[in-house]
Amino acid sequence: MAGFNFDLCKRNSFLESKGVKAPGYTKTGTTIAGVIFKDGVVLGADTRSTAGSTVADKNCEKIHFIAPNIYCCGAGTAADTENVTGMVASQLDLHRYATGRESRVVTAMTLLKSHLFRYQGHVSAALVLGGVDFRGPHLFTVYPHGSTDSLPYCTMGSGSLAAMAVFESGYKDNMSRDEAVSLVDRAIQAGIWNDLGSGSNVDICIITKGKVDYLRNYKYFMDKTYVRKFPVCYPPGTTTVVREKMVALKDVDVIEGEASEAMVID
Amino acid sequence: MVGLGLDLSVLENPSKSAATDAQLDGLSVGVDLGMQSFPLPQVHDLDSFEREVMEYVKPSHGTTTLGFIFQGGVIMAVDSRASMGSYISSQTVKKVIEINPFLLGTMAGGAADCQFWLRNLGTQCRLYELNTGKRITVRAASKLLANTMYSYKGMGLSMGTMVAGWDATGPGLYYVDSDGQRTKGQVFSVGSGSLYAYGVLDQGYKWDLDVETAVELGRRAIYHATFRDAVSGGTVSVYHVTEKGWTKISGTDVGELHYEYYDNPEKHPCNGTQPI
Amino acid sequence: MSIFEYNGSAIIGMAGKECVAIGSDLRFGVQFQTLATDYQKIYRIHDKLYLGLAGLGTDAQTLAARFKFKHNMYKLREERDIRPSTFGQLVSSTLYEKRFGPYFCSPVVAGLDKDNVPYLCGMDTIGAIETAKDFMVAGTAPDSLYGMCESMFRPDLEPEELFEVLSQCLLAGTDRDALSGWGAIVHVITKDKTNSRTLKGRMD
Repeated sequence: MAGFNFDLCKRNSFLESKGVKAPGYTKTGTTIAGVIFKDGVVLGADTRSTAGSTVADKNCEKIHFIAPNIYCCGAGTAADTENVTGMVASQLDLHRYATGRESRVVTAMTLLKSHLFRYQGHVSAALVLGGVDFRGPHLFTVYPHGSTDSLPYCTMGSGSLAAMAVFESGYKDNMSRDEAVSLVDRAIQAGIWNDLGSGSNVDICIITKGKVDYLRNYKYFMDKTYVRKFPVCYPPGTTTVVREKMVALKDVDVIEGEASEAMVID
Repeated sequence: MVGLGLDLSVLENPSKSAATDAQLDGLSVGVDLGMQSFPLPQVHDLDSFEREVMEYVKPSHGTTTLGFIFQGGVIMAVDSRASMGSYISSQTVKKVIEINPFLLGTMAGGAADCQFWLRNLGTQCRLYELNTGKRITVRAASKLLANTMYSYKGMGLSMGTMVAGWDATGPGLYYVDSDGQRTKGQVFSVGSGSLYAYGVLDQGYKWDLDVETAVELGRRAIYHATFRDAVSGGTVSVYHVTEKGWTKISGTDVGELHYEYYDNPEKHPCNGTQPI
Repeated sequence: MSIFEYNGSAIIGMAGKECVAIGSDLRFGVQFQTLATDYQKIYRIHDKLYLGLAGLGTDAQTLAARFKFKHNMYKLREERDIRPSTFGQLVSSTLYEKRFGPYFCSPVVAGLDKDNVPYLCGMDTIGAIETAKDFMVAGTAPDSLYGMCESMFRPDLEPEELFEVLSQCLLAGTDRDALSGWGAIVHVITKDKTNSRTLKGRMD
């Protein structure tokens, strides 16, 4: 990662001193949770993202890919969680190319915390990191300032209290897969229904030795509750057009090409 | 006295207006105008309280209103938009307040303040009529309002109004605001779009304008203000005051008016380049 | 005052059946003063990809120039046009680079991807991508625009009706915002043509 660019900071703080407010960022306003069970880790998340009091995305993805055996739930500023997990994922990818070994969850955790600590909490990502490596299942929480916890069950985000209440009353050691999934599901639902910052659907990710089940929209709640019987239809010509310009596209040969998977090293 | 050139009426012998004031003094002793009974909030620091409160409730801050006296009477023209910040809360506000058949007031600033105090002015004027058996002059009416404003000075009222009408002395036009200022004049424009309106008004104004041209001048001035000023818009209403009282001449939607003035939108001076 | 309210803007992107449309208002103003009504806020990246930039005008123009440059470099390297989803990531990383001193712009990317599948996404000022299957809004009155789109949008609209729905949402949405409006422009991208139209709107 090339690092941040601070060119506009001076201008922006000048504008702020003039009383011009900078716009807010998209937040996840989230309930995320994870538990360790007998064979692995279950991660869960709601799917609401917010911009102020507006629901910006009704079905976003908060369980991010870190490595084939590691996933990470993100809460906080959406751009930060997205980028910090993406950065660590790419670093681990390169590390696997270099070593030929499976990534470890602690490596991911250390990369995350060292980045977050460097920025002293200004990169506002609160994460629940889970995965299974050769040492077995691991579950960590990573706080925006770079501190971490290793726990058998944990929650994060604005709905963390609601979710933790479910965990505290329902957690058992050595749960079966189904028990763990149902517990996480109930914890996330506690956030969805009781925390206003969280909402919509439940995403679940079950990581076991050598296998990942990413159950996107494990529970789907937020379909439109109404259907327009007579949708408003505008026949062509409703809007008055002042000027129109049509550009017919020539037959363009689209040369499809994905970035090559293998790295070329001179 | 009224005519081309400078308005030097402020330099005139003050005895005339003193007489009017004396009359009014006698009046306020005679009847309770209900002004003094307006209750104030029971807080320690009224000034800062009012200032703070005004930040919460400040609708209708964008406005363009104008009025001018000419050979054929008085023209009053206003837009109809009310806004809270950049949100347009209404496009159909009645910004000319009909005080009585011979008096009009315009609304700029706080909508509630304008509506309340011009209604209050209406009752004061009616009481004056009942007491004296004569119609109140525009000069006296505007002074009643200015006095009220002055008595609440610094308490957070927000109002910029024009009082116009016709009385025994002919057409009258006064500017009164919530600072307590009261100014007699021939051409006024008030509100956030007033500078744009003045631009058109000053360019087209002559004393000898015929009524039709004067009405069109008022309408055009408001239209141009609604175009340039983001918080003015809606419809343009034009009123005309003569010795027979006021009449409403027109109310035109700006959405249509623009294309009346510029039937080919691409010919508009603000359309220098084609965005396509 | 928010920095977005300095110049004023309104942008909507909407997806249809094998087509996508993006529209913006045409006002350029400084706070409450309208200076021009022919101001471009949507930039063409290539035949099947358009970028709308809402927010501070100066930053929008800077970004548009940077993206044009980046796309030219991409074409020289790859000898093809950039795919909309790739471009979305490019916009996002360009914005996130300035995480602690952002450009005051929120972009809307609209284009046709492989097999003419609509691609639509929006971002906040630091590049948090929000992909949408239906519509995306940005500007000074997002709530008004969201409201219009939520009630008017239907899936799988054909190009002509997509144009009508987007136009009506844009015109009605900007009617309650003092800082946007003054005419509008709508681009409809289909597999074999793009259609750009300026609309008649309220000029107050």
